Amino acid sequence: MSDSAFRPGSDEEWEALLRQLRLQPKAEPLPFFYGRVHARLLATSLPAKALLPKWLWRPAYAAVLGALILAVSGDGAVAATAGPSHRTSFPAHQLAH
Amino acid sequence: MAFSFSLPLALELPRCSPVSPADAELVAQLQQGSEAAFRTLVKRYQNRIYQTALSLLRSPQEAEDVAQEVFIEVYQTIAGFRGEAALSTWLYQLATSRALRHRRWATAKKRFAHFTSLLGLENQVLHEVPDHAHPQALLEGEQQVKRLLDHLGRLPAKQQIAFTLRHEQELSYEEIAAVLATTVPAVESLLFRARQKLHHLLA
Repeated sequence: MSDSAFRPGSDEEWEALLRQLRLQPKAEPLPFFYGRVHARLLATSLPAKALLPKWLWRPAYAAVLGALILAVSGDGAVAATAGPSHRTSFPAHQLAH
Repeated sequence: MAFSFSLPLALELPRCSPVSPADAELVAQLQQGSEAAFRTLVKRYQNRIYQTALSLLRSPQEAEDVAQEVFIEVYQTIAGFRGEAALSTWLYQLATSRALRHRRWATAKKRFAHFTSLLGLENQVLHEVPDHAHPQALLEGEQQVKRLLDHLGRLPAKQQIAFTLRHEQELSYEEIAAVLATTVPAVESLLFRARQKLHHLLA
């Protein structure tokens, strides 16, 4: 569309255009705007609270996993290399049980 | 279009329009963490903030996004509000600065998408971002206003903000000066240049 149809040359025309602008119905956000703001506020604040436990959880998970691997693979390897003769070397009072 | 100017920190600047008694009470309640006060704040200012963002962005979705961000920032930083300026001034500062930031980001994203499409990095058709018409301009018989609003986006950022705050939000020169952290004569100059530019664009 060409702009040549309207040229606010005079002050009166310019003022009339601005008056028309002010008389336009004002835009509004969609209904339940506060609900969306509140939900977003909660969403933005929750990760910040959850950040610390995650950092704490990761080493804990790694430690548990490492202990589990040691328990499963380490004991078997020791048992395999030690052989049955080592078990006979325990003191007699322990073997009595 | 250049968006080189940046608004100063909102909490430090405004020097006119002291906080009204109603807003002062609202701020005090907000600083105590009242959710009811926050709801009141949103309801009181949501239309003005949304309209300002919409005028600068021309996209209802982006305007909603900016308006939400403004209120969230207010909630998170209200403890630092010292009441040296009107609450509305602070809100308008946040709205205009965030809207300009959104626009810069959208422009950069559009350029990057265009660049990658030229390099053939993406095998998808590059669509133009739809230019949502300003709701105020959708009414039949309002073509003059629509053309004015279309050209408004081609003004330099400060001129556009001054024009929007003056002619759409109907703020006083002093209030606009507080939002833009400048002087009243500077606002007059911005509005004069905006009018000249729009005259040129509409001619």
